[in-house]
Amino acid sequence: MGQNKKSAGQFIREKKFVILFWLALALFVSYLLKSNYPSLILCFICINTIAVTGLDLLFGYTGQVSFGHAGFYAIGAYASTILSMKLGIPVALSMILAALISMFFGFIIAIPASKLVKHFLSLLTIAFGNMVYIFLSVTKSLTNGFSGIINIPDLVLFGYRFKTNQSYFFLFAALAVITLIAKNRLIKSRFGRALIAVRENPHAAAGMGINVSYYKVMAFAISAFFTGLAGSLYAHLMGFISPDGFNNTQSNAFMTMLLFGGIASTFGPMIGSTILTVVTEVMQGFVQYQMLLYALFILLVLYMMPNGVSGLMNKISARIAKKKGKKVKPHA
Amino acid sequence: MIIRLIIGALMIGSVYGVVGIGYGLIYKASGLMSLAQGDMLMFGAFLGITFYKYLKLPFIVSLLLTMVLMFFLGMFIERVMVTKLIERGAQTVYVILCTISISMILQNSSMLTWGSNVLQFPAIFKKSSVKIFGVGVAPENLLVLGVGIIIMVALQLFLTKTKFGISMRAAAQDELAASSLGINVPHTKGTAWGIASMLAGGIGVCVGPVFGVYMSMGSMIGQKAFAGAVVGGYGNMYGAIIGGVLFGFLETFVSAYLTSNYKDFITFGILIVAMIFMPKGIFNEEVME
Repeated sequence: MGQNKKSAGQFIREKKFVILFWLALALFVSYLLKSNYPSLILCFICINTIAVTGLDLLFGYTGQVSFGHAGFYAIGAYASTILSMKLGIPVALSMILAALISMFFGFIIAIPASKLVKHFLSLLTIAFGNMVYIFLSVTKSLTNGFSGIINIPDLVLFGYRFKTNQSYFFLFAALAVITLIAKNRLIKSRFGRALIAVRENPHAAAGMGINVSYYKVMAFAISAFFTGLAGSLYAHLMGFISPDGFNNTQSNAFMTMLLFGGIASTFGPMIGSTILTVVTEVMQGFVQYQMLLYALFILLVLYMMPNGVSGLMNKISARIAKKKGKKVKPHA
Repeated sequence: MIIRLIIGALMIGSVYGVVGIGYGLIYKASGLMSLAQGDMLMFGAFLGITFYKYLKLPFIVSLLLTMVLMFFLGMFIERVMVTKLIERGAQTVYVILCTISISMILQNSSMLTWGSNVLQFPAIFKKSSVKIFGVGVAPENLLVLGVGIIIMVALQLFLTKTKFGISMRAAAQDELAASSLGINVPHTKGTAWGIASMLAGGIGVCVGPVFGVYMSMGSMIGQKAFAGAVVGGYGNMYGAIIGGVLFGFLETFVSAYLTSNYKDFITFGILIVAMIFMPKGIFNEEVME
């Protein structure tokens, strides 16, 4: 480790474009934060990044497909809402509890899921997502059915009350960054290597002494934790939730964002959720044509970048590195 | 009561079965998964109602015309969109994204063309009910069942008795060997997708008079048909039919005797429990990892 340590100056010189990029982004974001609506979109971007990162851990790294992640999202949102409104638990605590409840459900669903592959797994997750959605829409005593729950309390943290979208954004951005760092640390650790080994070849992984079903279950639970956390953030940001936002369209939306950004990459989920959230909001103006244009946009990008945005970025950076005569790191 | 329930269950079960066969065909032929089957059914229903109600064609003509159009739509999706995507080096999982987009396009273009209200399919038969074992049943329900059975039998004959059907099965079994025997494998793949969407569209036309035609009618049917196909053994034609019919029975009887609000909740719950104990489906399909 000792030789690899670089001085701060060296680091800045080597990464100057990266640093400039982040600075420019920060400047642009602070400009957007001046008004209310763009700040709301920025909040959505952070929430989606967290949720999609959760899905990426499961699908991108462990290779377990899920078409029911809106179920975990819904559990996070409803659990936090109900805990804070009906039981009077402070919002900050209820958010964490909601994420843990979602994790618990992820754990339960993972026990059968870890035995299943391919279509069976897709079916199980679709069934799970539908069960949550149906439960939320028909259990009126708990969730108020399709009318939804209004006046969800704001988050209060250390006596500070989050009221505006701007204030929420700073919290959510911090959480999104923490999520990305946590994911990165997890992937680089022994645990993450085990997940990738399970994805690449479960039999070989088992032969190496990796407890395959343990890692599959853990991946499901951690993934559900992040997605549930995102759901609870969404509920308190919007102040209103109804089952409509948690059907299988939402599951597909998470999957779309992940695939669009590129699976099994650090920034893929962030890029995918940023672009698609912005595109969704822009398309709102075209009321009737919204879905059509959205789908055409995805198809267009798909044909130009068949492996998502991060696939393209890997290609470009490999080409630049080749030009410079550096050794190209093989694509993970 | 019980006879009416059984006929209802068989009716909805044959819908799931026919759509489920489509999933299986696509999987067998190309190893891919399409999430657009449900919306194919919806689109077929809209085409059917256009031909029958607005252009005043006889029902059988509207049905056949819809099936032909849906066949070419499915073929177009495989030949033009999916193949090109794979040729450009996309991983197969991106095909799912492609089919999600296709189903969004189908939904939105139907909404733009036909509006977002539920369209009522005019009655096909003059009689409003026929007696079976002394119970009055709407003839439209029997029509769905009849068309479902005809489609299944016709498909079975096509796959086992015609030369093209046999070559399709050969291509599904071993692409390399089939193409070295002179079978046009890409063509059989396209045909499989075409047939899958033709089946969904055709049964969609028949379902129209029973449920009404609306934009989101396909999504739940598509998911349940997928469930039936998986439980029966994915890629197995008889499995898809039996799985679909089982699912239809489960759903009908749960909603009749237990609870109608939680009908889908319980049905999917039973499905999950069934998958824990029968992770390979009814027909013990070997699932490769």
